Amino acid sequence: MQNALFVGVSAQAALARELDVIANNMANVSTTGFKARSARFQEYLMPVASADSFQRSDRRLSYVIDQGTPLDLTQGPVEPDGNPMHVALRGDAFLAVQTPQGVRYTRNGAFELDAGGNLVTSDGYAVQGDGGPITIGQQETGLAIAPDGTVSTNLGIRGRLRLVTFANAQALKSEGANLFSSEAPARAAGPGAHLEPGALERSNVKPVVEMTRLMDVNRTYTMVSSVISRLDDLRGTAIRRLADVA
Amino acid sequence: MRALYAAATGMAAQELNVQVISNNIANLRTTGYKRQQVHFQDLLYQNLRRSGSSTSDQNTILPAGLALGSGVKTTSTARAMTQGPLAQTEKDYDVAIRGEGFFRIRLPDGRTAYSRDGSFDLDAQGQMVTRDGYLLDPGVTVPNTATSVTISATGAVQATLPGQTAPQALGQFQLARFVNKVGLESIGDNLFVETAASGPAITGLPGSEGFGNLQQNYLEEANVNAVTEISSLIAAQRAYEMNSKVVTAADQMLSTTSQMFRG
Repeated sequence: MQNALFVGVSAQAALARELDVIANNMANVSTTGFKARSARFQEYLMPVASADSFQRSDRRLSYVIDQGTPLDLTQGPVEPDGNPMHVALRGDAFLAVQTPQGVRYTRNGAFELDAGGNLVTSDGYAVQGDGGPITIGQQETGLAIAPDGTVSTNLGIRGRLRLVTFANAQALKSEGANLFSSEAPARAAGPGAHLEPGALERSNVKPVVEMTRLMDVNRTYTMVSSVISRLDDLRGTAIRRLADVA
Repeated sequence: MRALYAAATGMAAQELNVQVISNNIANLRTTGYKRQQVHFQDLLYQNLRRSGSSTSDQNTILPAGLALGSGVKTTSTARAMTQGPLAQTEKDYDVAIRGEGFFRIRLPDGRTAYSRDGSFDLDAQGQMVTRDGYLLDPGVTVPNTATSVTISATGAVQATLPGQTAPQALGQFQLARFVNKVGLESIGDNLFVETAASGPAITGLPGSEGFGNLQQNYLEEANVNAVTEISSLIAAQRAYEMNSKVVTAADQMLSTTSQMFRG
């Protein structure tokens, strides 16, 4: 009977984690280039002792564990804002950013120029081009980013944004600040990847889905909780009845 | 419970979003105003199961990890320094910039500020000043006898003086531009000052490449688009509401937990 309690608790722990995932998705409903995560549960079969000596074999116990939080890598809505320094990515590509911790990857194309004329993210990290960082001279105007990532000004082409893809994008680690890191090497993106200049990719969190999951998680949690309470009542009754007999 | 705090960061972020949107809408008719846009980032993740960690001695690895995020933070309220529409005013000292430059304004404390608001007037000495009485830099003085003042696209100020047929040059506008104009600091009154992020001001004449040219009798309106702002406001309000539902749900789950124990 103790086991039944533990099965319930394993479900509750997993559900509480799923709520954390939903809360993080909802908090990032306006984060540029954010990719939602979902929670994936797995049945965990409890290994049982061999039960030849019992009349009936032990039932196998199924616990719940949260096995992973896979990324939802679908395209977020593209919102045009007319800023020539903003780009939205189409396709499964990522942009490469040079941070003090190494190269990181992002879908957030809200770029700016720093005082030295380097193309940087809103944290000031240099955006990688195919041939190193992209720098705009003081006298140059008319900065434009073409759909293939070519950055040009009135004085000509200044570089091309480095677009990369991954064999297994699910293996990307979220680093916060809209950045991902990868242990596997990135490879150059194919021709299918292109940019939408003057636009930003919004978060791909779907509020309706998240709210539905929120209700689901809440109700399931209550149900499991009521199962646990009933089991507890059952045990209390058993103890009282057994005491009566004695 | 992490969910409570994550949802709280979401509510705080949307509250800030509404503040910025309402400031944009409030400045819908402010001359030379540049709208602000809030940028958000996700916070750090806790990796409970790292993707790529091995799951057996047969070199099988975990394809996707278990990572729990902790909410959202605001990174910047960057201004969109795009051109605003020009509106005709038919006032001689109203000047709009078509292009990237800024007017140079001398502040009373001696510093130089930069502005896109070209609604100038004359003070008692005939000097061109902003609506707050701050001097244009370099100064332009219009004698009180001058008539038909014209400001050319390249910034030359000319007027007809009594007894003379040819227009006389009274001064010359200079504009400033920045490598990163988004890095300018707003000090209110439609003025900006340079920062380490904007880079030093580069001074030049209107009409030269990259500075833009001037348009007399026009003012640059705010680059705020009312429709976009209102739809962002709706989105922000709903996002706030939904984050508050997450707080409610987390609260209910905690309450359920505490009710499991009946003593």
